[in-house]
Amino acid sequence: MPLFFDVYVQDPLVAAESPEYGFETIEVFYDPQLGDGPTSARFAVVDYNAATGEVGRPAVWDEEKQAFKKGRRVLDRNYADNIQFHQVNVWATLQRALEYYEDFKALGRRIPWGFEGNRLIVVPHAGYGKNAYYDRQSKSLQFYYYLPAQEASAQGEAQLVFTCLSADIIHHEFGHAILDGIRPYYIESHALQTAAFHEFMGDFTAVMLLLRNNDFRNKLADEVGANLGEAEKLFAIAEQFGQTVTGRPYLRAAKNELSMDELPADFNPHLASEIMTGTMFEVLIYLANQYRQNRGASAANALWYTIDRMQRTAIQPLDLLPPVDVSFRDYALAVLRMEELRNPKDPYNYYQTMLEVFIRRKILNEQDREALLNSPRYLLDRLELYKAYRVESFSKSKAATYRFLHLNREQLFIPRNRDLTVADVYISDKLMRQGLRFPRHAVIQYIWREEVLLEGNQFGELEGSYMSMLCGGTLVLDMAGNVLSWMRKAGTQLGDEMHLQSWYRQSDETDPDQHLSEDELAWRTELEQGVARRQAFLQQMAALIQQGKISLADARGGLLAHRQAPLVLRREGGAFRPELQPHFHLSETHQLSQNGKRTWEISF
Amino acid sequence: MGDQFLIRMYNVGVGDCIYLRIPDGGQHVHVLIDCGTIGSIKLLKAALADIKEQLPPVEGEPQNKRLDLLVATHRHRDHIKGFDPEFFEGIRIGHIWMSAVMNPDHPQASRSLQLHQGVSQAMRSLEASGQALSPEMQLLASMYSIGNDGAVEALRSTLPAANQIQPRYVVAGQTGQQLGLHLQDTQIKVLGPEENIDFYYLGDETAADFVGLSVFDRYFKPKALKLEHYQPHNISISELKMLQNRILSDPLGFAEKDSSIQNNSSVVLLFEWRGRRLLFVADAEWEGEFAEGKHNGAWNVMWQLHRDELSQPLDFLKIGHHGSFNATPWRPDKPASNEVNQILDAVLPLPAVGESPGAAAIVSTLRTNVYKPIPSAQLLAELGRRVHSTRNYAQALAALPDFDLLTDLPLPAYEQAFLHQPQPLRTDLEMLLTGDTFVEVAIDPAN
Repeated sequence: MPLFFDVYVQDPLVAAESPEYGFETIEVFYDPQLGDGPTSARFAVVDYNAATGEVGRPAVWDEEKQAFKKGRRVLDRNYADNIQFHQVNVWATLQRALEYYEDFKALGRRIPWGFEGNRLIVVPHAGYGKNAYYDRQSKSLQFYYYLPAQEASAQGEAQLVFTCLSADIIHHEFGHAILDGIRPYYIESHALQTAAFHEFMGDFTAVMLLLRNNDFRNKLADEVGANLGEAEKLFAIAEQFGQTVTGRPYLRAAKNELSMDELPADFNPHLASEIMTGTMFEVLIYLANQYRQNRGASAANALWYTIDRMQRTAIQPLDLLPPVDVSFRDYALAVLRMEELRNPKDPYNYYQTMLEVFIRRKILNEQDREALLNSPRYLLDRLELYKAYRVESFSKSKAATYRFLHLNREQLFIPRNRDLTVADVYISDKLMRQGLRFPRHAVIQYIWREEVLLEGNQFGELEGSYMSMLCGGTLVLDMAGNVLSWMRKAGTQLGDEMHLQSWYRQSDETDPDQHLSEDELAWRTELEQGVARRQAFLQQMAALIQQGKISLADARGGLLAHRQAPLVLRREGGAFRPELQPHFHLSETHQLSQNGKRTWEISF
Repeated sequence: MGDQFLIRMYNVGVGDCIYLRIPDGGQHVHVLIDCGTIGSIKLLKAALADIKEQLPPVEGEPQNKRLDLLVATHRHRDHIKGFDPEFFEGIRIGHIWMSAVMNPDHPQASRSLQLHQGVSQAMRSLEASGQALSPEMQLLASMYSIGNDGAVEALRSTLPAANQIQPRYVVAGQTGQQLGLHLQDTQIKVLGPEENIDFYYLGDETAADFVGLSVFDRYFKPKALKLEHYQPHNISISELKMLQNRILSDPLGFAEKDSSIQNNSSVVLLFEWRGRRLLFVADAEWEGEFAEGKHNGAWNVMWQLHRDELSQPLDFLKIGHHGSFNATPWRPDKPASNEVNQILDAVLPLPAVGESPGAAAIVSTLRTNVYKPIPSAQLLAELGRRVHSTRNYAQALAALPDFDLLTDLPLPAYEQAFLHQPQPLRTDLEMLLTGDTFVEVAIDPAN
């Protein structure tokens, strides 16, 4: 029994300019516990306003009418100016977005949040400012409002912009919350691409969900006909926001030709994310044109097939990603692997097409092409383990999974002397094309920590401190025990116990490899990757300190947007852990961040 | 000594209290620029007692001392706290100058003043609420303490009345002559603030933000529920508290803007004296590059409108804002062509190889663990390359008996490294070294 609510398709500005894209009535699953606020199983809307220090009255649930009300009025599009409508708008939009991710065509499972508890607090009018963000610490999505500069001097009543009414902004921030739920250790990173991946998730979620809207899609099809690539509306993310804040038609363009050559040298996740967003958008456009031109679908159908397929193409691979330190390359490999598993015969050559896009954008390289396309390999493998296993038994709990991992540390490249954590284990049921079932599978994420000493004056104030470096892997097994995917982030402490002494002994000989067994060679490769990771970890840290992008965590109040460094360090035990901060500047452009003063910087 | 332009900067913790003695027309002109601290009032009392010693008696009134000019650069506590009429008893003041933004009726600062008033109220209630703030925010909040009102009142009315003078709210473009201070060998030029404070320093965006706040109030407030009477039903008290801590603070955000506007509206004075050029910048900040309608930094505005005054090297610079990074135009991460770096290269050029710097500079500063960005050690080391009034503090302090650099200075290792490079004379470390309560520089005439 679905429930129905009116929400903005995009935002009030688009609604005013193009009423046909104004409101839509969306469907969300019935929740018998639905209550005032709105409050549902996974969201609690709290209209606390920091600017006034007061709480807006919550929308009231009328079980009989199956509607949210204020007094006697049902909060539909006729009451869009009402702050209680804002509450319902943001809640319903989020509710649908969560359902989109939990769908069998997407992750096919319930998704937890990245914090303790199951309700994400949603604050529709948190205060005044050009901001909206996801904040794990307060378990909240916060939406602010502001007055565009041109409105202040305009005649008549000044029109505020409410970020809680912008579907793009809601979806973008929700993308952060979802990614934090499925990969909670990404926030503990100081790698540019990991932070950028968070931004990509935000922007791409906005694009995908906009295209889910039937009215929008069908009208768009009418307008653009064959060539989807020219539909301006699709390229715009946060349209209203972009127009009023930056004076540009959109905040971040999805259509671009950026490659990894354009990866910024400084810590600018927004700019870096455009590479990944542009890449996946190119895949989307390819699919649409392919359905339209090669397979003869009408424009409307082509768009629907595209968006339906993109849900599987872009979202299902998230389950394969490593638990820490994700890179664009990891995601590209995950997208390809999932494609290969779902579609091994690939009659329309999607695999190679996507591979070529990734290579052209320099996310993957020629060696990858060789390895993925031309080297002989099998679709599925089994792990060669010391201890036999049954996926069904050990995947039932984290403790049982730990036991399985522990007994096979050597074969799984997990150092003996590190404490190991099972970050998450779950079973997923996904769908393939035409509702076909993908083999049921277990996703196991495990991590361990290594402490890295910051030596040298390039670390400024932090010289002599220890930083915690996360290592780990995500192992995806079908119920028969076949490896569907295994993505790892290696550590450096394998050498001690992996019997590599023979390799070290022989390393001055011309061909030391001849003394190594196949296992030892694999360990050595893993170890080399770990050493390279540590090196990159230290280089990134030094660069961030020198760029003034890091501050130490202060638990006290008084949060100021531009005094907040993009990364803070939190001391846990004896070592620092980095923590990505919410980006407090929706409007911040690369230019602005370059010109801004950095008063929170660690003096260097 | 009698023929030198004397600048004496008192050690008042974080704050400015600067005494000038200028030989002019066969006698001396006595000037006090600011008198404030965020620390104890005792420091100011001591400084004023010393200044009184320096001042000559008033002709025909041997019991009174003569101060020719008193300048209050801007309204922050660390610059005006000491303007208590009681402390100025026995001192006859000839002229009082202060920033135009301190004039409550200045027409071209009406929006800035409205912002300041709103922020002051909000900050006082924030202070009263007892919410735990980070040290940086505490300092910001303290700038709005009620005590400040007394000092502003003294400057606007009590002190002028006692001396039967009118205070002058000065703006860029004016000269000492125009402001009634007639000197022979000294030309005083006001380089800041600009008369149109709202236009140059407030910026359209801040102005809009301020209007925006009240627009929302109009339709949120009437039916909103006060937290004292209503606890949101769907989250716990601790969740609400955490949320409050993690929501961007509007009062603090605006306070920061206002505070920056106050700094940028500082009175900036250029003294031209017998072929020498001495610049006193108070807390003037820099901010990216100049643009109309933007919240601009005072340095950028001066560069835009008074470049002819800044394009020649100075003989003396009062280092701004206690050595903070934001008050001396220097961006090590940017090329020399950047506007900000151009300004520093113009006023304090790096000497050619083998030559010594021509200018002097001193800084009133106190490195505490409360507010780390003051002073920026990196900036002071850079300025140490550009001026001659410097000291290698690592060497000098090492020569002190029983002094251990590592344990006796509360500085982290990275900052200690900068002490091995020459830095401009600074009040805090000079006090440690010499016990003197001030730092002094004397400038010879060029002709």
